[in-house]
Amino acid sequence: MKKRSSIILVLFFLFSLFVSLCAGRFPIGMGGIARLVLAGLGLEEVFGTPLHEMQLIFWNIRLPRIIMSFAVGCGISIAGAVFQALFRNPLAAPDILGVTAGSCFGAAAAIMFFSGMTVAVQCSSFVFGVIAVSLAYLLATRSWDTSAAVLVISGIVVSAFFQAGLSVLMYIANPYDQLAQIVFWIMGSFHASSWAKVQTTLPIVAAGSVLIGVFSWRLNMMTQHEEQVLSMGVDVFRWRLFYIGVSTLMVASSVASVGTIAWVGLIMPHIARYLVGPDHKRLIPTTAFLGGTFLMFMDTIARSILANEIPISIVTSIFGAPFLGYLVMKRREVGVNDELAH
Amino acid sequence: MSLHIENIHAGYGKANVLDDVSLQVNQGCICALMGRNGSGKTTLMRCINAMLKPSRGRVTTMGLDITRLSRLEIARLVSIVPQSSDTAFPFSSMEMILMSCANRIKAWSAPSSREHARARLVLDELEIGHLSDRPFNQLSGGERQLVMLARALFQDTPVMLLDEPNAHLDFAHQHAIMELMRGVVKKRGVTVLIILHDPNLVLYYCDRVAMMKKGRIVTEGPTVDVMNDRVLREVLGNGIQMEVTRKGRRVVTPRARVTKNISLLPDADQESEPCDVRTANGTVS
Repeated sequence: MKKRSSIILVLFFLFSLFVSLCAGRFPIGMGGIARLVLAGLGLEEVFGTPLHEMQLIFWNIRLPRIIMSFAVGCGISIAGAVFQALFRNPLAAPDILGVTAGSCFGAAAAIMFFSGMTVAVQCSSFVFGVIAVSLAYLLATRSWDTSAAVLVISGIVVSAFFQAGLSVLMYIANPYDQLAQIVFWIMGSFHASSWAKVQTTLPIVAAGSVLIGVFSWRLNMMTQHEEQVLSMGVDVFRWRLFYIGVSTLMVASSVASVGTIAWVGLIMPHIARYLVGPDHKRLIPTTAFLGGTFLMFMDTIARSILANEIPISIVTSIFGAPFLGYLVMKRREVGVNDELAH
Repeated sequence: MSLHIENIHAGYGKANVLDDVSLQVNQGCICALMGRNGSGKTTLMRCINAMLKPSRGRVTTMGLDITRLSRLEIARLVSIVPQSSDTAFPFSSMEMILMSCANRIKAWSAPSSREHARARLVLDELEIGHLSDRPFNQLSGGERQLVMLARALFQDTPVMLLDEPNAHLDFAHQHAIMELMRGVVKKRGVTVLIILHDPNLVLYYCDRVAMMKKGRIVTEGPTVDVMNDRVLREVLGNGIQMEVTRKGRRVVTPRARVTKNISLLPDADQESEPCDVRTANGTVS
């Protein structure tokens, strides 16, 4: 990575972290942050004891929310980079195999039939996300064609199936409470973040990120045509299953906790690729760091810019869609190196 | 380190493409596979590389049955240069080449600085060191083929398969690739099986040739013995003929007045004049 890019990335992270810690309906200044951190370390005598409400908001609401947004951003961005490599398509996103559609269906079903119990929504969302990807994979393995294109088609079929199921649920949902809950959940939000959610999501995302990071160089090969990968001694089918499995777990656990997050998994790998090139050894950590920082910043905007919280997917779409447009225009200018055209 | 193909039968589904194919290619030899489209050349290569499992017969190299080996073990014995290649992401030529060391490094490792140095040596061997940092998808067709050849060489296998490496290349690049292959075989002693459509390239550069027709090897042997007018017409059709220059060099040219068997010629009724092959000093050869 160019030194300047690294510095910009670190500065962006520090700025986002600072803004995220300070901004919100209960603004906390730099002094307040220092006081809270020192108090947390048992050094109250340095700056004095902070207000109880401030402590409550900082430790129980803001900090878990910042950690969740960073972890989910990391997980979804890494999954995006992995799926783009596996499907040899820079426009692939983590939900390409139906994980998001399955999770949404699972969450909507739990909202309707379990009165929206948080644990039920999370479990059901996670389980249906994994079921959706398993179905897509199973469907693809039944085909005589073993190419990645068949997997994509299977993903589209499964997504359509679960989206139809979701539509049925929304159609029969009580429009005064259940429907609003489903729609809000689908648009995603970190407002319900808690240490309990951090405890269920962070270990999966952290373990998945480490696993993908360790085997990141192999992803370079997965971008080549199947027969070429096989001829280089890599069991493409086994490795594809590994990468899809780990990425799906990361996405499903994220979506189960906070709902769907649009654009992050698609856009972040592009920016990271622009910064460090396509080699996944450098791309994966950069994407993770960038994705985490970006989502942390977007969540701060979502919760601070208006009096009411905006669903996170609206904010990420507002920033993501124009960025994709910019990428397309830029590629047109560059001409030959048109990676989006592949 | 020779390559033995013994009584191979293979196909796709119920369609049998290869019918009792046997071939032996010795170490340090370039053997060409020739035949019309659909004669089974690529299917044979896929069997050698274990991409397609033969229904009968076996392929052995260094005494090892390819069909019984793991992908990793096969990748240590056989490398392949595909007909064409592209990549969805702008990997540099060096990154493309480094991928083929996957057959000798741990799954969690990335290529070491030693592997980088070795890859640079291969690039220098093929005289394409200047392409090292250039994005692969910005290279010309010829340059891409050279990079893919470098990748196969970097894989460091005793057997190399080249599937029409000259397809889409201009005249100069076609000969450049073949010259390079001759040099590589001489230096490294690898066994090369190459699919070619141009009989003149086979005559100039290949030690042996196997002529395929309808899934069978019609004839096989040293190029000088096998390549004659009769065999060429039998395998490739009546549209070509072999001529011998005054210097004794054999060249294959399109056959005049014969158009019936070449359905792709635009005006089948129109008679054409016989074309002469002229040397640089103007003599008809």
